[in-house]
Amino acid sequence: MFKRLLLLGVLAGMLAGVASIVYQKVYISSLGADFTKIAAPVGIIASSVLGCLLASLGFWLLNKWLKQKGEIVFNLLFSILSIATILAPFAVKLPLDVESPELFPGLVVPMHLFPAMAWFTLRPLFIRETAN
Amino acid sequence: MKKLIFSGATLLLLAAVFAFTIAQGWQPTDKYNIGFSSNDAGGVFKKFSGNIIFDEQNTTASAFDVTIDAASINTGNGLQNKHAKSDEWFDVVKYPVIRYVSKKIVKTAAGYQVTGDLDMHGVKKELAIPFVFRKTGNTAVFTGSFSINRSDYHIGKPGGEVAESIKVDITVPVVKK
Repeated sequence: MFKRLLLLGVLAGMLAGVASIVYQKVYISSLGADFTKIAAPVGIIASSVLGCLLASLGFWLLNKWLKQKGEIVFNLLFSILSIATILAPFAVKLPLDVESPELFPGLVVPMHLFPAMAWFTLRPLFIRETAN
Repeated sequence: MKKLIFSGATLLLLAAVFAFTIAQGWQPTDKYNIGFSSNDAGGVFKKFSGNIIFDEQNTTASAFDVTIDAASINTGNGLQNKHAKSDEWFDVVKYPVIRYVSKKIVKTAAGYQVTGDLDMHGVKKELAIPFVFRKTGNTAVFTGSFSINRSDYHIGKPGGEVAESIKVDITVPVVKK
């Protein structure tokens, strides 16, 4: 199961990364606010993959420790953590040459939810049953 | 003939005096930096303009009249920008412009010092700013650093997390007009 979870993490991360880049392109073209120097495509994909891999690791550990309750706890934790991280973009201080920093949270807040969405979406394709 | 020579000499003298008293005008380029910093907050003002007349050899004929668009403040954080523009801090709706008009410029050991009136947030106070002027051909750079007490201009509540003394760093590259 661990290998399938790792594969799920990588693929879900890639999916979230691609969704984030598509969203970034739509955001830039509609609002004209370009933050690609701060949120570069490579960085977006790398952090999405890392987030989903950590989720897979967390899922595996919680299922090992908590057995049947592991999945419930994991789902709650992953959702709560994803929502909690949306506060971070509001506190970030951008370089002073970047225009319209007030538009930055609008770009990255949805991106913080994409890894969880992608992971939960692809999960049934990789993990059908959890700990018995 | 005598009249003609006298008139010519007077004209020459007037031209020489005129040339001596008119100092060089400088146009700021868009590479300027008007930065401020304190223990808690820091940032820049992005819009700056004004008339700069400065001659190293003739500081008495030199003068600055510069303005900063208060709403152009950028701290790097959207929430902080909104807060800085609010009526608690710069109140940019009521006081959209920060203006400095020089009254006197003198040479000092380290460079120059301009004394003038800083009009900010509805308060006009005399302020002396030390600066350095570096000329290279038709371009030059003015650089200066000084501190102001934000409470003197009723900016923000006294005390609190942001220090009373705010350091201001100015760099203004210019070209000859």
